[in-house]
Amino acid sequence: MASSTTSNVYIHVIEDVINKVREEFINNGGPGESVLTELQGLWEMKMMQAGAILGPIERSSAPKATPGVTPVHDLNVPYEGTEEYETPTADMLFPPTPLQTPMPTPLPGMAQTPLPGNAQTPLPGTAQTPLPGTADSSLYNIPTGGTPITPNEYSSVNDSGGAPEVKPGPGRPSPYMQPPSPWLNQRPPLDVNVAYVEGREEGERGASHQPMTQDFFMMSAGKRKRDEFASQYPNGGYIPQQDGAGDTISNELKVGQGSNTQHNTTIAGAEMSLQGGRAVSRISQLDGPIPDPYDDVLSTPNIYNYQGVVNEDYNIVNTPAPNDIQAATPAAVTQNDTVDDDEDEPLNEDDDDELDDVDQGEDLNTTHLVLAQFDKVTRTKSRWKCTLKDGIMRINNKDILFNKATGEFEF
Amino acid sequence: MATFELYRRSTIGMCLTETLDEMVSNGILSPELAIQVLVQFDKSMTEALESQVKSKVSIKGHLHTYRFCDNVWTFILQDAHFKSDECQETVSRVKIVACDSKLLTQ
Repeated sequence: MASSTTSNVYIHVIEDVINKVREEFINNGGPGESVLTELQGLWEMKMMQAGAILGPIERSSAPKATPGVTPVHDLNVPYEGTEEYETPTADMLFPPTPLQTPMPTPLPGMAQTPLPGNAQTPLPGTAQTPLPGTADSSLYNIPTGGTPITPNEYSSVNDSGGAPEVKPGPGRPSPYMQPPSPWLNQRPPLDVNVAYVEGREEGERGASHQPMTQDFFMMSAGKRKRDEFASQYPNGGYIPQQDGAGDTISNELKVGQGSNTQHNTTIAGAEMSLQGGRAVSRISQLDGPIPDPYDDVLSTPNIYNYQGVVNEDYNIVNTPAPNDIQAATPAAVTQNDTVDDDEDEPLNEDDDDELDDVDQGEDLNTTHLVLAQFDKVTRTKSRWKCTLKDGIMRINNKDILFNKATGEFEF
Repeated sequence: MATFELYRRSTIGMCLTETLDEMVSNGILSPELAIQVLVQFDKSMTEALESQVKSKVSIKGHLHTYRFCDNVWTFILQDAHFKSDECQETVSRVKIVACDSKLLTQ
């Protein structure tokens, strides 16, 4: 169901689209206006099936016929719902050819073969009217085959005249009616757009996931060490740590410093040096147990990054852009504080499941949808307000259009 | 003129997409032309909403999920009430997808 205004807007949009792509269909070796007409017919039929257009296709086809004078437009005239099935043409056809009518009427199937010339003419008219649905692709052939024969009769009946008008006329409804069921069933619909939408969604997800996993790798690899460096270490001390071989040297330096300060300077100085010494010793211990080549590669860039020095080394270890890594640093710190990685993972998994459920619901068309543009979205604590405009809503199988909408949500 | 592909997910957009897809898969229509039709639909639908629709709607409900990504707001509401001049609807769950209107005016 749709309100009449919605239906009218939809009809207007259909006509607007059809009119504006007409040039493309006719010119430059396009498929021609008949294809455009078929497009419009299919589109409108689907809209009626969906209940988005309230059967005012009469309105749509009437203005459709007026703008163009070309015979193709006339094809849509018999397509108009009620007129088509009343089909005055069938009744009208009998008087002009009284001799031929008895033949095809009792034996519509038989008539085709024995009397190709005479019998075919009434056939398309009589046979199609009672059985529009059963008529198969053969109908496509029959009318065209009969075209040269019919002109006399049809032109006499119809004001607008012309066999091509009427012929495809009765033939039209069947292509409109038939395709949806077999075609929809045979082929998965939406080659173009589904692939397009899905691809986009996958792209988004992929983009969001990749950095995440890489960030986690980074944390597990070098975070804790980096944190200790950050809290305990003065600027100068880190250089010898990086160089695996320099550890011994740093120890020697440490000893020397310690001895000097303890003897000559204040207690504060001694404490400083002691802290420095502890830090150095801790770091060297940490570096020790971890395999040297692995540790060198992983820990070095982290230190560089923390110091704000060039990021080049990151590229050696991890391909992602330096931004990702830098962004990950704070998150890593907090995670290391909580220590439990197990707590985080299940939370994330739950979130994903909920979202997936929602998405699946959409695919089944069970959810209601609002498509719009937003002017403003604001939040005060848990209270959200938004102003939307130019929206299409599909709610309770009803299409509703709006120019403006205000939303107030509680989170 | 910039347009959103947003409205292709509406009823009228899906009907057009299905139609085009059938015609393309049957070889009646070239994919390029089908895309041109879709782009024209984006324009026509946007224009029609701007010029022909005057109604106003108010939406209230519990915000289950909000998301802002690539200038697109997505809200999932629970127990949402829709009120307009013509009608009043209540749904247990509705999804709102909204693009930034400023992108069109730029």
